[in-house]
Amino acid sequence: MNPLISYSDISITMSGKLIFSIDKLEVPAHQCTLLTGRNGSGKTTLFKIMAGLLKPDTTKIHYQGLDMTWSQGKPYIQKDIIYLHQQPYLFDASVTDNIAYGLHRSGENKASIHKKVMQALEWADLSHLAHRSAKQLSGGEKQRVALTRARILSPRLLLLDEPTASMDTQAKQQTGLLLQRLKFEGISIMISSHETHTVEHLADQHWQLEQGQLNVLKKSPVTDNVTHLNAAKQKN
Amino acid sequence: MGDLSQASVAAFELLLSGDTDIWEIISLSFGVSFSAILIATPIALVIAFFLAFFQFPLRRTLIALFNTFMSVPAVIIGLTLYLVLSRSGPLGDLKLLFTAQAMVIGQIMLSFPLLVAMAHAAFQAADRRAWETAITLGAKPWRAFFTLMYEVRFGLIAAVVAGFGRVVAEIGCSMMVGGNILHATRNIPTAIALETSKGEFAQGIALGIVLLVLSLTLNAGVSIFQGKGESHS
Ligand SMILES: Nc1ncnc2c1ncn2[C@@H]1O[C@H](COP(=O)(O)OP(=O)(O)OP(=O)(O)O)[C@@H](O)[C@H]1O
Ligand SMILES: [Mg+2]
Repeated sequence: MNPLISYSDISITMSGKLIFSIDKLEVPAHQCTLLTGRNGSGKTTLFKIMAGLLKPDTTKIHYQGLDMTWSQGKPYIQKDIIYLHQQPYLFDASVTDNIAYGLHRSGENKASIHKKVMQALEWADLSHLAHRSAKQLSGGEKQRVALTRARILSPRLLLLDEPTASMDTQAKQQTGLLLQRLKFEGISIMISSHETHTVEHLADQHWQLEQGQLNVLKKSPVTDNVTHLNAAKQKN
Repeated sequence: MGDLSQASVAAFELLLSGDTDIWEIISLSFGVSFSAILIATPIALVIAFFLAFFQFPLRRTLIALFNTFMSVPAVIIGLTLYLVLSRSGPLGDLKLLFTAQAMVIGQIMLSFPLLVAMAHAAFQAADRRAWETAITLGAKPWRAFFTLMYEVRFGLIAAVVAGFGRVVAEIGCSMMVGGNILHATRNIPTAIALETSKGEFAQGIALGIVLLVLSLTLNAGVSIFQGKGESHS
């Protein structure tokens, strides 16, 4: 199965220190990849490079049949890959306006945006929060709003930075449920996490960032690939 | 003492009777200062944003420079501008000296460092995630910039209000490049300074009241907006 996107020679130096140098990173399509690594190993940095938010020293991208430098690929990856911060940032507006934010890029009309947002809220069981001010939500609620705000843009890849850190059991379950739905919809997901057990059941493979290298700890079984490919196909 | 209270009563009468000279001076003051802030603000905001969000050579030097220029006395800016605009100066041909336009230019120069420095502080305090979130959700840089401005709007409004407060009350620059010409370049501060010295107490007090109320309101405004900005994030 072809990877969704591949990056090669990813390296970045910050304040004169080489954070990592990764020969090859191939993001599997329609799968969930768990990325672990110690504090400071560079998980956040890697995600930001992958999402087109942080310029690496070097990096070649192979995406949709094209070979590009990171700078050339930036518009494509910014469009199709969404990065979610460890503590997601919600704009100083209502939950509804937050979820609608990205839709304005396509110049859609108000009525159709409104309809999509309402559907998205329902999808995430967040309808009761629609008119709340986003700044006042709890951490778990913010995370779910952020996931909904990302999903509505139909990204191809979601990069989630510690999505369940500092959440209680119930919030973890609710977030886990949304992640499961996203995966079922065929969106590729990468999750960085310290608490492997909370997302393990979602993950098809497990990578580890250690001493500037990316190690594959667990590869996805072939059968898994097939099921998810089918799930994705059914959707389309 | 009796003179003073008489003059005060006369001052209120002047203001309330809608004395045309007084209201002309007040509206000129507002017109000049509004124009200056209106022109200076957009450029200052963009510069402040770049200083806060991007790394480039001389960034620190520029920040230090703007902070330093904030403390240049108005009269020095007036003097410089006078020399540049005077008939033998490099821009003498524009014949701008002793016009309201010259006052606008002076006030732009005066407010610019303050606007940049205060807006820079507001952007600096902004959450980095706001910018990244806007971009990753597909906003073009311009839209992300406006989103970010909205997120730190209270700090930015405080900057603009403070900038207006500084120029509307300054006298040195307006006096030098405006020349306090009635019906043309006489604004509140120059009128207070010069008319009072000629014994026109009532007018001076009337304008003084307007300026004082304005300054107090503006300062209160700055504190309120700065407070809102802090409690917000
Ligand atoms: N802007 C920066 N300037 C200098 N060094 C930085 C910067 N951002 C990150 N670093 C360094 O890069 C390294 C990787 O940081 P990063 O945040 O990517 O790690 P992480 O794996 O996400 O850690 P955590 O598990 O704590 O979230 C760290 O050593 C960090 O100090
Ligand atoms: Mg991190």
